[in-house]
Amino acid sequence: MKREIYAYRCRKCGHLHYPYRMVCAGCGDNEHNEFDPEPLPRAGTLLTFTKLYALPGDFEVPTLGLGIVELENGIRITGQLHIDDPSSGMKVIGEVEIVRSEEYEEYYGMVFCEA
Amino acid sequence: MRDVYAIGIGITSFTRLEFPLSEIAAYPVMMALKDAGIKEIDHLYVANMGGARVNHQTGLASAVVDTLSLTPAGAEVIENGPASGASAIKQGFLAVASGMHDVVAVTGAERMREVNSIEATEFVATLTHPLAEYIYGVTLPSLAGMFTRAYMEKYGVTSRHLAMVAVKNQNNALLNEFAHIHQAITVEGILDSPEALTNNPFIADPLRFFDCCPVSDGGASVILATREVAEKTGRPLVRLAGIGQATDTHCVHEREEPTDLLAVRRAAAQSFKMAGVGPLDVGVAELHDAFTILEIVESEEVGFFKKGEGHLALERGETQIGGKIPINPSGGLKGRGHPVGATGVAQAYEIVLQLRGEAGKRQVADPKIGFTCNFGGFGNNVVCLTFAREN
Repeated sequence: MKREIYAYRCRKCGHLHYPYRMVCAGCGDNEHNEFDPEPLPRAGTLLTFTKLYALPGDFEVPTLGLGIVELENGIRITGQLHIDDPSSGMKVIGEVEIVRSEEYEEYYGMVFCEA
Repeated sequence: MRDVYAIGIGITSFTRLEFPLSEIAAYPVMMALKDAGIKEIDHLYVANMGGARVNHQTGLASAVVDTLSLTPAGAEVIENGPASGASAIKQGFLAVASGMHDVVAVTGAERMREVNSIEATEFVATLTHPLAEYIYGVTLPSLAGMFTRAYMEKYGVTSRHLAMVAVKNQNNALLNEFAHIHQAITVEGILDSPEALTNNPFIADPLRFFDCCPVSDGGASVILATREVAEKTGRPLVRLAGIGQATDTHCVHEREEPTDLLAVRRAAAQSFKMAGVGPLDVGVAELHDAFTILEIVESEEVGFFKKGEGHLALERGETQIGGKIPINPSGGLKGRGHPVGATGVAQAYEIVLQLRGEAGKRQVADPKIGFTCNFGGFGNNVVCLTFAREN
């Protein structure tokens, strides 16, 4: 099964959200959670990034690359970076992978490489 | 609405404190009551973010009101992330302004050093979006790092400007006996020297160790009351003249312009409007410099300087204690420390002290209007306060 991360499109006004919210930020009118899920595209542009040296407890790596990417449909996402020397404006391509493992649970998210 | 005055202030040392959280919250109330010359209050508001998670204590306000022997006064905890302090002051203001209470105590307290730094960072990271940020390992320093890079690339801010904020605020903290960090640093020492990579390592590139506030324990308190009560104290009258609050998207990536802090802009504008003053009337300000970049950007967003020019004003020395608009004479979060729930109240403590002319070696020359910006989350919930000296 191919894993996806979904954005949510309002059935009333067409506004696309990521992440999910209960009431549409576009029309403010959608009171009934009437959104259609849409898989996020994988290709995008790196807007900004950091290399984190002070890691949260669950991460057994020396450093962690994190960035904000604008995907080709205009939606922005925060993700992990597997890029040695990132730069702002770089074209990147994402894959859905395990991004955090806790004792009994694994979390999937978007991991970006250089396109 | 009735006018509301800050009639008493108190603070603990900001450091590692080996006392229970309830005592860290209670001690500055004792000091503030003594400062105001009163013994009774109608209500107690306690600002705290991590008591339940970090210190395994819930119902903190009940513990604090009891240890102070102030029962049966009403008491409750206000949790609004790192903006809990100013939020609690706002609740106290509403209670007095509405006529419900005449005298209320507001105290903010946090005991974060009961756990190690990884757990403390993890606790603060629970502010982030659980599914779209937290799972990736996003922490507050990493959001600040990404924000800093975008700001540097757009406006020409450099690591040197960031270091100048750290040096200014740590120098100010040397004049504050309650500050956490008492260490003189220089831009050369933390950026250019051969030891810079070890004494000032990267935390979230481009942010380094000296760009981030310390993890602190501490408490601060302010007593709010009506004009009638305030006049009886015989102390300088300091009125809480304006309050503004605004929110922004939970996820930082959803903000249209990644280098804007719209909640700061909106909260400050509301606060000034309510007080009937403008940003250029401000004589002393305490801004939320959890990361050095934030002092620069907030100084622009609240209207002290044009967008993109805060670092130039910093270069010209305008934010020093003797400058045009002194920012963080207390040392700020960087120098005084950042016990998250206490910070907003500690900012108000400093402004009241400055407006009364009681700040000693770090006293700013005769300020009449003081301003605080308390920044919750990564700018998703911001509370700004404007204080005015009346006599």
